[in-house]
Amino acid sequence: MSAKRALRVALVGRPNTGKSSLFNRLTGLNQKVGNYPGVTMEKHVGLAKIGAGALAEVVDLPGVYSLHPSSDDERVVMHALTTNTDAERSDVVVGLADGTNLKTCLFVFTQVLDLGFPAVLAVTMVDEMERRGAQLDITALESALGVRVIPVNSRTGMGFDQLQEAILAAKPSTQGPFFQPAGAHLPWLQKKQECIGAGLTYRAWLDGLSDPDFAESVRASGRSPERARADEAIQRYRWVNQWLRKVYHYDPVRDRRAAARFDRIVVHPVWGSAFLFGVLFVLFQALFYGASVPMDAIDGGIANLAAWLHGVLPSGFLNHFVTSGLLPGIAGVLIFLPQIALLFFSIALLEETGYMARVVFIMDRFMRPFGLSGKSVVPLVSGTACAIPAVMSTRNMESARERWLAIAVTPLMTCSARLPVYALIIGLVVPNTPWLGISLQGLTLFGLYALGFAAALVGSALLNRLVPQQKAAHFLMEMPPYRMPIARNVATAVWTRSRSFVVEAGKIIVSISIVLWFLANSGPKGLPNFSASYEPMPIEESYLGSIGRGIQPVLAPLGYDWKISVAIASSFVAREVFVGTMATLYSVDGDEIAPVRARMADEINPETGKPYFNLAVGISLLVFYAFALQCMSTLAVVVRETRSWRFALIQFTAYAAVAYVAAWIAFRLISYLTL
Amino acid sequence: MNLSELGVGQKALILQAPVELPVKLFEMGCLPGEEVELVFAAPFRDPLCFRVQGTLVSMRRELAELIPITEPHVG
Repeated sequence: MSAKRALRVALVGRPNTGKSSLFNRLTGLNQKVGNYPGVTMEKHVGLAKIGAGALAEVVDLPGVYSLHPSSDDERVVMHALTTNTDAERSDVVVGLADGTNLKTCLFVFTQVLDLGFPAVLAVTMVDEMERRGAQLDITALESALGVRVIPVNSRTGMGFDQLQEAILAAKPSTQGPFFQPAGAHLPWLQKKQECIGAGLTYRAWLDGLSDPDFAESVRASGRSPERARADEAIQRYRWVNQWLRKVYHYDPVRDRRAAARFDRIVVHPVWGSAFLFGVLFVLFQALFYGASVPMDAIDGGIANLAAWLHGVLPSGFLNHFVTSGLLPGIAGVLIFLPQIALLFFSIALLEETGYMARVVFIMDRFMRPFGLSGKSVVPLVSGTACAIPAVMSTRNMESARERWLAIAVTPLMTCSARLPVYALIIGLVVPNTPWLGISLQGLTLFGLYALGFAAALVGSALLNRLVPQQKAAHFLMEMPPYRMPIARNVATAVWTRSRSFVVEAGKIIVSISIVLWFLANSGPKGLPNFSASYEPMPIEESYLGSIGRGIQPVLAPLGYDWKISVAIASSFVAREVFVGTMATLYSVDGDEIAPVRARMADEINPETGKPYFNLAVGISLLVFYAFALQCMSTLAVVVRETRSWRFALIQFTAYAAVAYVAAWIAFRLISYLTL
Repeated sequence: MNLSELGVGQKALILQAPVELPVKLFEMGCLPGEEVELVFAAPFRDPLCFRVQGTLVSMRRELAELIPITEPHVG
């Protein structure tokens, strides 16, 4: 370790051991934590003052069952622990063990100790452990492992002072090795050790078994790398079981019975489905009714602010730019916030309590015919909020093929960015009169959600057929215990995700609105007049008008005029820009700030003399937005996750083609039916 | 007998660890000699959720069929 660099502490443990809670408590940094196995997928880094020492860098590594990698997030851990570069190498490892389930947690910790790291074991969930009457002889466990063992409680902060002291004083284990490669494995291991020049046997073992070339040479010598790993697992568990019998006493039968009874209800064909339906029903009701109050408040507040500024600011260029260029853009971002925050809140709750894993479990059989497993439910459900975190959540899938399918179809799910477009169009063309006591507008919205979900499943099934199947990966998942959500974890999840939406998506949307405003207010005939005697330019003469007219012939078969064409062109950046563009297009005509919807409703089709936005145009637009992949940020994330520009380009083109054809069919069909 | 034939609430011991199984299964604690209990099953008994070494591990039926076990016992 160089003198200048801060001490680097890595957190390593199984999923669901409270690793992220400990990280939150230690660093105070905002970070996502949940109960779904492997929710910590990126390497999260935070700074923490450890004891009286200097600031240390704490790295929250993804939860793993073993250091041998089987998925991407396990590869991240393996790399972090075996790299030689000073910029990445960890100085101290804090292992985590759930006090109510020590056995399996110690497995991976003994692997860490065999790598020779200075280490400390933090035993979490001690409150739960005490409540259930489990007894752990800390001193005896310390002497068995040869490192300090500290019980901690991330809810109250108990034990954190001792943990910090132990981190500063951490030493490699005085015991061990806990696993000794033997017999048939020795010859190739010696060869590997010579190759990497490593003194540590276990380092060579890990490296050797996860290096595909080397694994091949192992296989060629008649040994199987899988058999070698299995032998390791057997030996380590033997050691762990031997020691725990002496130091750990826990008889959880009663708690287990209650949890198992509840689980049998949750996965029951009738009660379980009813329960899942109920949970989703409450979630969607909350999303649409609960969010409508703050949304109306934001909407009204910004309208009032715009009216007030319109009166206060000196009339002219600045006034017009702020009230009809900048503010509508900002409003377009903030209006989503209540719904996004509520959805993130619900997903965080479902993950924290452990229910999400049950949903994965019951949905697995249903998803299989589409080439997916229950694990795809998480990206698909998250996709109803935003495709960006949803695509990122595929990272813990072991099967590269399923991950690939999930990324390909997740953006078809109805994300929250489509909502404002849907709300605007549905409000325009679907009558607000109940039919048999059901809101037709609500029914249309429900239909669009169903369309998105069906499209995702059908798309995945088609791709699954098209692309030849290799060896199927196994569906293997730990079922986390039910737990009371930690308020801080839910709050940080909502806060970090909402903040990243406002900042990341907001930046794009506001800048596009500003660019659009300029395009709408300057044209081939001249730039906007920056003087006080500013007069808005007629939209037909602006650059924006020219662009709209340019692409309108392409979109004419779908029933779109040049204004819609402009809005569609601009919303290829992000769907919600459609609403802002319509607002800009319809408010630059006059100087009154009136609701866009009312202005759009007044638009007359010059050919028919009837309102332009009829059912055919409206449904055609809705269908177009259901399919088109109009989101730069999603494409950027897809490129990052698949490491392939081609994937994203093909995805974008395919979505656009389907959107065009489907919108054309919808327009033709409804025009014919309503004539 | 194999793991997929266990009834809900029944327990048995794992007999062997065939090499064709994913190693992750062993690393999660499903090893020869360990006791397994079928805790609950999804509709159509697929996937299945077992308790082994104190944790709940869920897997598809096709995988459970590959794991040989002893005759189930009670308690």
